[in-house]
Amino acid sequence: MTQTVIAGRRFSAQAVAGVVVAIVAAVLVLYPVFFLLQAALDVGDPDVRPPTAYGFSNFGGLLQYPQIIFNTLGVSFVATALALVFGFALAWILTRTNVPGRRWLEPLMVVPFYLTPLLGALAWSMLGSQESGFINQFWRALGGTGYIIDANTAFGIAWVMAFFEGSVAFVMISAVMKSMDPSLEEASQVMGASRWRTMLRITLPLVIPGVLGAAIFVFAEMLGSFAAALVLGSPNRFYVVTTAIYQLTQQYPPKIPLAAAMGASLFIVMFLMLFVYRWIVTAGSYVTITGKAFRPRVNDVGRLRYVLLAFCLLYLFVAVVLPLATLIYASFQKLAVAFPAADNWTLNNYRTAMSMNAVRSALGNSLILGLATATIGVLLMTLLSWLIYRAKLPGSSIIEYVVMFPQAVPRLVFAFGIMWAWLVSPIPIYGTLWLLLIAYITVFLPLGIRTISGVMLQVDKSLEECAQMCGAPWGYRMRTVTVPLLWPGLIAAWLLLFIASIRELGASILLMGPHSKVITPSIVESWNATSSELTAAMALIQTAVVAVAVAILLALTRRVGGHTRME
Amino acid sequence: MPVPQNSTPSAATSGTHIAVENLQIHYGTVLAVRGVSFTVEQGEQLTLLGPSGCGKTTTLRAIAGLEKPTSGEIRIGGAPVYSSARKVNLPAENRGLSMVFQSYAIWPHMTVFENVAYGLRVRRESKAEIGTKVDRALDMVQMRPYRDRRASQLSGGQQQRVALARAFVFSPSVLLFDEPLSNLDAKLRGDMRIELRELQHRLGITSVYVTHDLEEALAMSDRIVVMRDGVIEQVGTPNEIYNLPRNAFVADFVGSANLINGRHRADLDTDGLVAIETAGGDIVYGSAYGRPVGDTATMSVRTVHFKFSTQRPAGERNVWPVKVDRMVFQGDFTQVHVTWSGQHLVIRCAALEPIEGAHDAFMSVDPRRVVLLEAEKADA
Amino acid sequence: MTRFTDERLSRRSLLQAGTALAAVPLFGLGAPQVMAQTQPRKATKVLDFETYADVAKAEQEGALVFYCHENEAGTAAIMEGFHKDFPKIKTSYVRAQTGALYNKIVSERSAGRFDVDVLQLSDIAPALDFQKKEGYAVYVGPESDAYKADFKSNPQGSFFWTGTTFAGIAYNNKKVSEAEAPKTWKDVLNPKWKGSISCKISSSGVQYVAWYMLRQMYGPEYWKEYAKLTPKAFDSRVQLYDRLAKGDDKVCSLAEYAGYSLYKEKTQDITMVMPPDGLPATPCVLGAVSKAPHPEASKLFMDWAMSKRGQAWYQNHPNLIYGSVRSDAPPMKTGAKLSDFKLLFPTDYDDYAKMRDTFTKEWNGMLGL
Repeated sequence: MTQTVIAGRRFSAQAVAGVVVAIVAAVLVLYPVFFLLQAALDVGDPDVRPPTAYGFSNFGGLLQYPQIIFNTLGVSFVATALALVFGFALAWILTRTNVPGRRWLEPLMVVPFYLTPLLGALAWSMLGSQESGFINQFWRALGGTGYIIDANTAFGIAWVMAFFEGSVAFVMISAVMKSMDPSLEEASQVMGASRWRTMLRITLPLVIPGVLGAAIFVFAEMLGSFAAALVLGSPNRFYVVTTAIYQLTQQYPPKIPLAAAMGASLFIVMFLMLFVYRWIVTAGSYVTITGKAFRPRVNDVGRLRYVLLAFCLLYLFVAVVLPLATLIYASFQKLAVAFPAADNWTLNNYRTAMSMNAVRSALGNSLILGLATATIGVLLMTLLSWLIYRAKLPGSSIIEYVVMFPQAVPRLVFAFGIMWAWLVSPIPIYGTLWLLLIAYITVFLPLGIRTISGVMLQVDKSLEECAQMCGAPWGYRMRTVTVPLLWPGLIAAWLLLFIASIRELGASILLMGPHSKVITPSIVESWNATSSELTAAMALIQTAVVAVAVAILLALTRRVGGHTRME
Repeated sequence: MPVPQNSTPSAATSGTHIAVENLQIHYGTVLAVRGVSFTVEQGEQLTLLGPSGCGKTTTLRAIAGLEKPTSGEIRIGGAPVYSSARKVNLPAENRGLSMVFQSYAIWPHMTVFENVAYGLRVRRESKAEIGTKVDRALDMVQMRPYRDRRASQLSGGQQQRVALARAFVFSPSVLLFDEPLSNLDAKLRGDMRIELRELQHRLGITSVYVTHDLEEALAMSDRIVVMRDGVIEQVGTPNEIYNLPRNAFVADFVGSANLINGRHRADLDTDGLVAIETAGGDIVYGSAYGRPVGDTATMSVRTVHFKFSTQRPAGERNVWPVKVDRMVFQGDFTQVHVTWSGQHLVIRCAALEPIEGAHDAFMSVDPRRVVLLEAEKADA
Repeated sequence: MTRFTDERLSRRSLLQAGTALAAVPLFGLGAPQVMAQTQPRKATKVLDFETYADVAKAEQEGALVFYCHENEAGTAAIMEGFHKDFPKIKTSYVRAQTGALYNKIVSERSAGRFDVDVLQLSDIAPALDFQKKEGYAVYVGPESDAYKADFKSNPQGSFFWTGTTFAGIAYNNKKVSEAEAPKTWKDVLNPKWKGSISCKISSSGVQYVAWYMLRQMYGPEYWKEYAKLTPKAFDSRVQLYDRLAKGDDKVCSLAEYAGYSLYKEKTQDITMVMPPDGLPATPCVLGAVSKAPHPEASKLFMDWAMSKRGQAWYQNHPNLIYGSVRSDAPPMKTGAKLSDFKLLFPTDYDDYAKMRDTFTKEWNGMLGL
């Protein structure tokens, strides 16, 4: 038999594919990181690059900003705590109680995630400003004095972010709750423990690793969040690390090294958190998370279920209905006030938004980029996930750390690395949509890989091995078994990347060129430089586009998900 | 012994089909398989038996090519598919084997037909050929009526049959089974055991079977390899394994056994029997079956080989009075717990009339059924 | 037509118009040496202005890339004006705050990327730096003569003042009575405005010039007092007026004339005050960039922007309302001419450029950055 020879070649074909993809990922991530670190350590002449001198004094400069560090940590803690309370309560209500309408409530709980922090922040800045906030205007109209809420505070930012991250926490925690063997709880009840005792002594400890994982994930996201702090914080002289970096790099002369150092120290913190997260996930009850899907045990909570339903609806109202209604209302006014005069109504904001060439071409570019990022991204990320979690190639854990790296750096900061990296590269993509495409794929590597590998880990490995035992070569079994099994997950990942690309802000704001404008920075720009009413109109146009995408997501997953049961 | 049949044209009609030599496999940092060597004859059904974590599945996966060993050599039909010395590592899909997985690994996105046809499609057989072969295979496992069902709509037993048909439909040279029956309920498992064995005979395929279930191993194997902690404890026919366990582990793992320790009384050895004296001063005669006898020795007696009676039986050797602690009625047999020579023993005998109040009775055993075990290696 | 609420003040401004422009620094009066200009052809007349650019070639190049400090709407407006006149030339732009924009263009050029044709900055300090780095293409168009040497680079040809933006004080007249309202720059320091006064962030050119001029007039103490008011800082004039109109702030200490006239159309609640001590003013400097991908188009644009036609566009577009320093400029859309205001320009631009870092630090410090 000549198996040896053929096989040797086959094996290397798979290995070559793996190595190529791994190298692509490493270049995407490490190449910009190199420039970023170079900038953080640059203590020489700011106008000359490569740097003339290296040192750590930029990091020392950070200590001048204790307030900003304190602000960042404070907002992140409060937002994380709030998001966890929301996420846990909703997950418990929707997976474990007989609250009416669970089936349609569950998908709705993810909607705040699609509304983006930017939208929430814009809406709450209109609702909750001390003076002009609609809620405060109502308060005064009712005879109150002063104001009852102030959105331009640390709590305001945390509040807006908590609704956004609350959805993330909900998804993560409810996944844990669903994968928990209900007999563990039943055992407790059989032994005579009350429902609340069971909840406290059995349910809670079992889901704690999952909750902790969600907490660390949300906290890390909060450290890098930008839009809400920009819109709500800066009017009140309240800065967090990301908005400080933004301001420091926007002024003349720009303090790039200091900004890079801020970013670098942020990613040290985030890296620690991700490390702890991984440690918890692997050391903790990871097995119960990826194991079988159980039918969760449902508690009969009696009359209380109407209270719980009210809680869910209130959450949706505050997180979705109120902000959307506010923006829609404002977008039809000349100068948004709570009690408008008849002549204050106008369609002009939409007319202006739609007529702005910048917006139209930007929206088009965003859609093109969304399609390309999602398609190429899913391909690349599927291969990477497979390499990391299935192929067990030597060094796959290193690849995993590399591709998860962008998670640890605020996109705004990472964009600097990308800008310098591709400015000096001989490949002429600077200033084109290609640069944004590369940037999006790079910064969304962690998001995509987390999503896809999550699905991949749920698919029993033996399904692939069996195809291998049937003699199918690598490419054939990827095509006939791996990809079809991952299909619903891949579609979800595709839409996630699509949506994430269209609303990307931090990286785009820096990397846009005259011929490669995208929509979200234009919205932020509009908030900065034109009226909030026009901004509302633009944000709503973008949201409508995203909403169409989500509708497709739901339709597709329902269709594809129908017959796929993985055990 | 099954009649060797030729299923692989390239291999000899008889002789060694699979050879595993000094196989070592690391699982992370743990050495899961520590130098295992055995062979599988052409057409033979070999079973790897052992408790979970003994390295049996890892060994099987290494043969399949799903696990990369650290060192050693695996040859199939004489050609190395893995060899650390020669730097050969053939990927699984090119080894010409097939495998039935513990989880069945039925692809939920395909129909029964598509599942079974997969291996044939990989081999680019003609459509007509695929049709006939799949139908024949489905017939053999009595799944023809389910041909167009989606695989996810099948019960566990049905999935098992489909997995089986899928595994042999493309006439692989070797079939590997990774605890294929462990997810089925007891009744179904019994039936499938017989079916599998018959099928294997009919196909005459060389197969390697992994299980932790003794009965399964005894019923289905030509030979059994008993493993523990990554090493082979004993290799032999089911009969040898059951009746002549080499050491305490095998004796205990392979069916229930009573172990009796004692000092060798060479002065009392007669008729080719070995005599030991227990700590309680009782003399036990056993058979060495060619094994060397040390100063101290351990004998193994299957619970069913003791004879239990209320009257003292005839004979001098291996007859003792015992104290009955309790008797447990278990339907087909009764389990008698006795105290003898300062230790507790278990005796199984055909269902007895319950003995009321009788706490003293007699126990005897044929010295040929008292098997001398090899001295345990001193390990932790 | 919009009228100043405070007629008295505006009339006074008018009276002082002459002196204002006379007080403009004698900056760069060294004889404007014309560099080795290679003007191969004679000026051609297009529409109603003259240019040395080859219009046919410019149209063949077919594109113009513009980097601009102005907000999105303003930048788009500038391009719209040019594109309307030369429809065959497609325009595109990048807008960012002066600091970010300047950093971007310097990074690009240091990496050998030359994607941009024309650059407009709101701060003369980076423009001088860019000139030192030989970033500008030297082009002295036929329309240059309409500008005094003070309003051009030295030597001329690198950049010119395509407009002037200047700021006074504004207040919400629903929240603040006219009697209470600040009349002079000193009035701004009244502690009663604590927490309800606004300004711009440190990247703003107008804010810098205001800081520089008022510091010169009233000493560094002025801004120390100001810092005690915990002012709120914003990116753009529109935000400032938006908040003022909605009552989020009572007083804006950097009320740009351009934004004021835009907001007058939306609301009557804002009143602008022109302090008699003068209005800090900063030029918007425009220049063609060297190694431009579309050299003829950028020359044509420079001449268009310098021309009466271009300046009228800058002055009258509601999103721009730049005051023209062109000697024969017509009045702005509001009816006022730049010369109607008492403007405060720095006298020593070297010192001005040097102080920039001090300002950024001090201003950031005040804002808690």
